[in-house]
Amino acid sequence: MEEKEACTVHDLGLVFFPAFDWAISPDHPEREERLLYTRDQLMEEGLLDLPGIIEYRPEIATEDDLKRTHICIPSVPVVASKSHLIAAGGSITAAKAVMEGRVKKAFALLRPPGHHAMRLVHGSRGFCTINNEAILIEYLRKNYGSRLKIAVVDTDAHHADGTQDIYYNDPDVLHISVHQDGRTLYPGSGGPDELGGPGAYGMTINIPLPPGSGDRELLFVTKHLILPILQEYQPDIIINGAGQDNHYSDPLTHMQVTAEGYAELTRLLQPDIVVLEGGYAIEGALPYVNLGIILALLGMDYSRVQEPNKERDLVIAAPEVLETVKQVVGFLQEVWSKRRDINLDKIFGSDPCWRRKRFIYYDTDDIHEQQGDQIRRCALCSGYRVIHSWAQKRNARESRVAVVHLPWHACTECRNKAEEAYDRLNPGAQLDRVYLQDVENDLFLEK
Amino acid sequence: MRYIIGIDVGGTNTNACLLQIDEAHQGQVVKMAKTPTVHENLLFSTKQVLAEISRDLTVQDWTALEIHLSTTLITNAIVEGKGDPVATIVSPGPGLCLADAGLSIPLSSVGGAIDHRGRETAPLDMDEIRNALRGADRQGAKVVAVVGKFSPRNPKHELAIEDLIKREFPEFYPPTLGHRLSGRLNFPRRVNTSYLNAMVARLQREFIVKISQTLQEKGLSLSPDPREVPERPRRKVFLLKADGGTISLEKSVTRPIETILSGPAASVMGALALTEARDSCTVVLDIGGTTTDLSILVHGKPLAEKDGAEVGGYKTVVPAFFSRSIGLGGDSVVRYQAGRIRIGPERAGKAAALGGDSLTPTDAIVLTDGGSFGDRHRALAVMKEFCQKTGGSLQERAEEINQAFCQQVVQAINGIFAYLNSRPVYTVSEVLTPRELKPEKLIGLGGPAAYYLPRIARLLAVPYEVLPHYEGANAIGAAASRPTASISLRVDTAFGRAMVPELDFVSSLSHPALFDRKKAEQLAIKSVKEYAGQIGALHPGARFEVDEEEVFNMVRGFRTVGKLFSLRAQVKPEVIKVSP
Repeated sequence: MEEKEACTVHDLGLVFFPAFDWAISPDHPEREERLLYTRDQLMEEGLLDLPGIIEYRPEIATEDDLKRTHICIPSVPVVASKSHLIAAGGSITAAKAVMEGRVKKAFALLRPPGHHAMRLVHGSRGFCTINNEAILIEYLRKNYGSRLKIAVVDTDAHHADGTQDIYYNDPDVLHISVHQDGRTLYPGSGGPDELGGPGAYGMTINIPLPPGSGDRELLFVTKHLILPILQEYQPDIIINGAGQDNHYSDPLTHMQVTAEGYAELTRLLQPDIVVLEGGYAIEGALPYVNLGIILALLGMDYSRVQEPNKERDLVIAAPEVLETVKQVVGFLQEVWSKRRDINLDKIFGSDPCWRRKRFIYYDTDDIHEQQGDQIRRCALCSGYRVIHSWAQKRNARESRVAVVHLPWHACTECRNKAEEAYDRLNPGAQLDRVYLQDVENDLFLEK
Repeated sequence: MRYIIGIDVGGTNTNACLLQIDEAHQGQVVKMAKTPTVHENLLFSTKQVLAEISRDLTVQDWTALEIHLSTTLITNAIVEGKGDPVATIVSPGPGLCLADAGLSIPLSSVGGAIDHRGRETAPLDMDEIRNALRGADRQGAKVVAVVGKFSPRNPKHELAIEDLIKREFPEFYPPTLGHRLSGRLNFPRRVNTSYLNAMVARLQREFIVKISQTLQEKGLSLSPDPREVPERPRRKVFLLKADGGTISLEKSVTRPIETILSGPAASVMGALALTEARDSCTVVLDIGGTTTDLSILVHGKPLAEKDGAEVGGYKTVVPAFFSRSIGLGGDSVVRYQAGRIRIGPERAGKAAALGGDSLTPTDAIVLTDGGSFGDRHRALAVMKEFCQKTGGSLQERAEEINQAFCQQVVQAINGIFAYLNSRPVYTVSEVLTPRELKPEKLIGLGGPAAYYLPRIARLLAVPYEVLPHYEGANAIGAAASRPTASISLRVDTAFGRAMVPELDFVSSLSHPALFDRKKAEQLAIKSVKEYAGQIGALHPGARFEVDEEEVFNMVRGFRTVGKLFSLRAQVKPEVIKVSP
């Protein structure tokens, strides 16, 4: 009611956007039906009538919002559909409500998801095209303070390799991903030794969980690793990429987390902004997990959020599973505590640039990409970056681009060198396009 | 030639109108009447105004007469907490804790659970229910409401409890069952609605009997009498509902809750009957003594409440026009605070010009716009007193009061539109074609409308129209209303099942794989016809339509296993066009 609109601060802002008219393909897990049963559950519970909750209409993200985060190749309109812009825009809506103090917390319960989308976007991978969390983070840094300390805790069963890619060398964004062990699940990455680039070492934390892990393991990691790290880091904002595919009934993963476990995780984490990621047990899990998360965010009792047939279907992992998790947690606790004392030359070599070569597969769109990536090791900033990318889509010509990226708070020297690099690189026989992304100045050039 | 009498029992006055209906179903106002509402005895006011309006009708006219009654009986009973003590038995299943659902009524919670697709996920324990009913009896409950979570998706549990009541607790039979009142999902609202429905059921029964008696004295029989000549028309009294439709008097016995908030609905129907409101967004203002009720027409169609009406602090699932009550009216309090005039929201009492003691906006009208009613001297006296206290000249202050009144109305209108424009939508195409609503025209009715509407319209810079017979246009609205009825159809082809909760209809599909959109639409229309027949909404010219439709493919493990159809079908809402 309009009375609810007034000056009162609500406990929770909800941006619910189920995109009932959008699917990757008719029988794809990321389809119209995905949030249908969730909607039914939330409606039947009468949640939107609760005084602590207010629903917002999602805004549409602009091309500029995307260009602050991504380099879409060949262009934003070709890569991102309207649904993607609304999902990203809805995440921004949620973040704004929190930053403007209209709500204490916000939940962007929307699709399509985004956490597999990397800085360069040739297409869709892992059902994701553009990165909703990253777009909202860049929006916050642009509008509410470029030195905001941000923590992203991604609790999807799949490694958040897209968000990791974007913030791997960013000292102001702590990225923690807890997921099913990459050796057993898409996208394969996310081992505990992926800890960040030379400009942000230790600011990427990956906690792979063995298949079969459940509430016990997830909550152990939360209490003994994630919460102590957050306690020390003292972020201004905690964002939870809330994938729901660790659920025991998820068809794509092999985990044993329950709705109550997710709610408990949310209660412990106390995130400011929650953004839905994956989760494809659309009938047996999503209605209950989403309800549990919402109640936890509202500080309400979620003990009665129980999946039907839980006793029958839930498998409690063997004790050895927890032992394995404890070892990973022990290793990461040590890395975190010693992250500032580590000799980075031993990890990244003593060259003035850190170079790496990567092969990236876009499973959703069947694109093979090769990247040559170099980041300047700079004492004053996190270093400018030059990326060469060759992407091959089936039955299409190879796309070859170069990107010069200037991070937030780049030093003058990096700035000058980046501009020189952009001047030097030109479209021609070797390159289709060249881009310059200067996030701090909101500058995006292409030629 | 036939006649319709419309009666609107308002907070201050009870208005009536007599419409003559021609062959083309167009109405012509023959007569208007009004009497002060006796709050403690609404029936008295109704009888009185009925006598007045029907004075010149012949016995012949009576046989072809319809009476449409918009009464605040049930609304008042709810607001004042009158009615029978109710035992509300709920089966909340898993989810939100019952204590957190924002329900302010005593509940008796039992086991059993149905999930979002209508599967039984936990059975009922009949002994537990027997205990609950015995407890209700001991505590003096007279009526029972039964509501299960997801009961519109599968009414099995509610029906089993009804059956138990019929066999073992006949004193509580019939109970109100949640799924019959609405097929829409919202458990707490369904609980409130069922509770209120049960609470006022006896009041409604008594009301029906009394009205029937009154009319029998006039020679109009309501109950089907086998000795009657078959072609003699029966069932001639209708009650107005919150959605601007009517329900027949005797059928309202099972669903009295639908007659709440008929007042604002009557105003909207009055606007629809008397104007051609085709503008993209028209604001209807019913400016009364205590409040100004605001409703909105979008392309000539009334905007509806998204989830249902709210009455006496209870959120319900009752379909209703979108309506907001602003605490500003002709009898509102006028204050002078910090150099500014503030009006309302409390009622000051009768205007001085009309025999009261306090200064009201009505007195300002009498003094400025040359209102040709009321006692100018009395108005002058209270205004002088006000000017002595606050300084300023008489004309200035009176003008300021008018201005303040209109500005406050405009502020409220702007707030309501800001809220409407922030309401969420759920599909890509809806987000991309945002309907930014803004007032484009004003329609006004109610006593003070003729004076205030031009000023409000000027502040908003929009055209306006004051309805003919603006003082009693809501009675015209009541007369011009037609029956409405709607049902929800849910078809789950994976389960091979179709159901319409409002009808207790559950059926197996003979060929689920062949069931398609067209069949769904046919079934929905067939169901709404049947339902309309049951509640006396099957009027001769009735048209039917599917007004909401959702179809989803169900895919399990990369294989399509079925389709889900959710449809809503209704008797097309209509209004008799009336010439003044």
